[in-house]
Amino acid sequence: MTELKTVGKSIERVDIKAKVLGTAVYAADIKLPGMLHGKIVRCFEHAHAKVVHLDLSAAAAVPGVVKVLGPKDVTSKTYNQSVIDLMASKTEGAMLGDIEEQHIFTEHVKFWGDGIAGIIAVSEEVAERAAKLVRVEYEPLPVYITPEESGHPEAVQFTPHKPGNRAFQLPEEMFPGNALGWGDVDKAFEEADLVIEDTFYTPKQKQCQMEPNSYVALYDDSNRLNCWTSGQMPKLVHEKIARLFDLPMSRVTIHQTVVGGGFGARLGMVLEPEICAMALAVPGRPVKIQQPREEDWLTSPSRHPARYWMKIGFRKDGTPLAVDAKSVNFKGGYYLDGSALASTTGFWLQGMYKFENLRYKGESYFTNQPVCGAFRGYGNPQTNFVLEQMIERACVQLDLDPLEWRRKWHKETGDMSWLNATPYTSCALNDCLDRGAEVIGWAQKRKKYANQTGPKRRGIGVAVGNHTSGAFPMILEHTTCTVRLNEDASATVLVACSDMGQGAHTSLTQIAAETLGWPIEDVRLETGDSDANGFDIGAHASRTLYVGGAAIMKACQDARGQLLDRAARILKVNRDELDIDNKTIFVEGEPERSVSAVDICRTGIYNFIDHATGLPEGELGQIQAYVSYKPDQNSPPFFATFVELEVDTETGEVELLELVSSHDIGKAIHPAICEGQMEGGAQQGLGMVLTEEMYFDERGFAINNSFTDYKMLGASDMPKMTSILVENGDPYGPFGAKSVGEAGVVTPVGATANAIYQATGIQFTQGPITPEKILHEIRKRGLTYD
Amino acid sequence: MSKHMITLNVNGEDHDIVVASNKTLLEVLREQLNMPDTKYGCGTGECGACSVLLEDNSAINSCLTLAATMDGKKITTASGLEKGDKLHPVQQAFIDHAAVQCGFCTPGMVVKSVSLLAKNPRPTEQEIREGLEGSICRCTGYVKIVNAVEAASKAMAGTAG
Repeated sequence: MTELKTVGKSIERVDIKAKVLGTAVYAADIKLPGMLHGKIVRCFEHAHAKVVHLDLSAAAAVPGVVKVLGPKDVTSKTYNQSVIDLMASKTEGAMLGDIEEQHIFTEHVKFWGDGIAGIIAVSEEVAERAAKLVRVEYEPLPVYITPEESGHPEAVQFTPHKPGNRAFQLPEEMFPGNALGWGDVDKAFEEADLVIEDTFYTPKQKQCQMEPNSYVALYDDSNRLNCWTSGQMPKLVHEKIARLFDLPMSRVTIHQTVVGGGFGARLGMVLEPEICAMALAVPGRPVKIQQPREEDWLTSPSRHPARYWMKIGFRKDGTPLAVDAKSVNFKGGYYLDGSALASTTGFWLQGMYKFENLRYKGESYFTNQPVCGAFRGYGNPQTNFVLEQMIERACVQLDLDPLEWRRKWHKETGDMSWLNATPYTSCALNDCLDRGAEVIGWAQKRKKYANQTGPKRRGIGVAVGNHTSGAFPMILEHTTCTVRLNEDASATVLVACSDMGQGAHTSLTQIAAETLGWPIEDVRLETGDSDANGFDIGAHASRTLYVGGAAIMKACQDARGQLLDRAARILKVNRDELDIDNKTIFVEGEPERSVSAVDICRTGIYNFIDHATGLPEGELGQIQAYVSYKPDQNSPPFFATFVELEVDTETGEVELLELVSSHDIGKAIHPAICEGQMEGGAQQGLGMVLTEEMYFDERGFAINNSFTDYKMLGASDMPKMTSILVENGDPYGPFGAKSVGEAGVVTPVGATANAIYQATGIQFTQGPITPEKILHEIRKRGLTYD
Repeated sequence: MSKHMITLNVNGEDHDIVVASNKTLLEVLREQLNMPDTKYGCGTGECGACSVLLEDNSAINSCLTLAATMDGKKITTASGLEKGDKLHPVQQAFIDHAAVQCGFCTPGMVVKSVSLLAKNPRPTEQEIREGLEGSICRCTGYVKIVNAVEAASKAMAGTAG
């Protein structure tokens, strides 16, 4: 392979100057002439209630109020704010039981903060004042916080589609016995020398993307519905909005602004239905909604809290004979991606170790809490918290080295991957373990911390994981890309891939530049508007670089090929005899026989007639390549994290000392961006295991829906971090790359729990592991640390 | 709602404006002066996305500051840190160290870092981390931000001679 010019280098991010200056335009920054302001009236009296009577007259009478909207003033069609349902075929969707049960404004309040009406006014202040005058009579309903409560036979039904309020269980038609897996688990347990079993709880964690959701929408004078949003999946939202309002897609545009973080909170729609309904109510007038943080908290989906039971059987030598597991997810008020999360949580279990027998059941039940949906990792951190602690417990009981056990029993290249449908294409997990262990000093510290005295106890823990690169073969994968060579041979790459902040547009530009052989300055990605750039699923499933990057690579190879074909005809040689350097195409070994790429591109567009010959000066046609790309592979990344920490057994406080993560990512297209994903992911994973949980009281009211009361780790809470990129190359990824986006969040969870186990001798099954829980367990067990 | 006539200097330019007594500096910057580079992240002074710089180089949360109290004050926002076409050394360091992802916290984070270095030109890593408490970044895990501030500190020491 020729030497790479831009791939593999941490070039300046394409979007970064605007971001350090603050001139990047997010949805909240958009202002249009004559803009009105929308406010959603939310129910803050109950977490579960029927709206018996809604009186908007006093609100409508407030000077400056342009329109008030109740449930009957907007479309009566229902929708599903997630987009996962679009990614399954009709047959599969029916088997999975996907539903569309949400209303723009509801008459059955299902969580504290559910939207019941809308106000459109000349200013935010007027809209807020009017919202306070909305008179509502409610019929309070029993509040269900747990699946046992909502699943009770007498419970009020959330939707007639889901009897018993069970939003989902693995369907019998696809998973006999409502379980996935293989072998005979029950029989295997009888043969096991050691069987361990426990029930865990993983918390409802909030993405806390820094940009609260804001929207502008305008039904313009060309009868087109425009919506400016920072959603991470504009194309699928385009179709959903068109369907919801019975408009042809040609009359809807989703304008994607700069995205101020997503992490899953913007997978699909949040308030796009509400803002578009408002815009349609005041044709010709733009309307803006700016969500306060406290409301953003309630309306964008969070991580699913789950009760997660697991039982594992081993032989004395550590052979993992069988695992049996069940996760019961608390769904919140609406279905969203109900079928997917409870499934993938089990897929991550399937994908990790060479269990001889495996059975997993996944269910979700509606609860009176804000909706749950996608959050970076998509069930993987939950499985990591449970599985990695169980493995640790077994290693202690069997007196096996936890690092060696993982090295021996993790799945490898050629083993069936997480969906149990395609094999792993590459795996360098042992390299990850070796390099990480060396950097953090695993062997010495593990030994040293086995014998400690005093109230402050240190521990070191390890966890491993793998994730996915795109959604193939589980659900739909598809990206289209068009590459145009301009008059000066510079390239415009039209592709709808989203940059949520992770840096995708920079890495994708690098792939285009490298493939074309052009300097980075001569390549521009055209992204953003949903009707301009063909189809792309959007940012989810760590797919953008692996799938979008491959689509771009193929389109650029085609464009380069067309250019070489024209040059070959001019130079009267075969195409494979040609090479390109500095936009000059020349015959290999005879650099004097050359033609300028710029001349070919310009002549194709400015196609004049040569007066001497009466013929065109060159071949007509702007060079343009198009691909519609569906991957037929998935190359999951593997990774390991080591965490060292100190527990103060007198206060319960945990001080994070060091974290080392090593990721088998195939090839780092932009090393600094890859490290950024690992480091940022670690902050969220450490938060999930130590501090972050959305709390609700017994009425279902949120207790900590603000950054004041919800504790994320700050700059001085974070440990020293090292990110190791293991680049062994994957046979299928673009330039050998696998994904890195979601992976970083996963293994800090298990590694931290395991480090706390070494430090205290206690395994904490209920996340997050807060100082209160640590002290409580120490006291309950009567432990002393002298 | 009572109103106040104030003169507010933003990035070197005076603005004579009438502000309602309940309007925050953040609202006035974004809505009245059409300067959206200062961001609303939480409205409760917890995230630091709305940080602006005062003349004495202290950084304040503009979401907690009433605009009416700012009469005669000079403030600098992220876009005002650029001199001519030259970025502030802190901004340049954020670029060089890839200390930006989604970018929403960045203007406030840059302002906070400029303030930190003005008060403590050669901070230790721990001092940087403590100085950035109150500015939340959800993307980077802070590693590259801390590296950028360290690099800016060195670059600024160099230029100051």
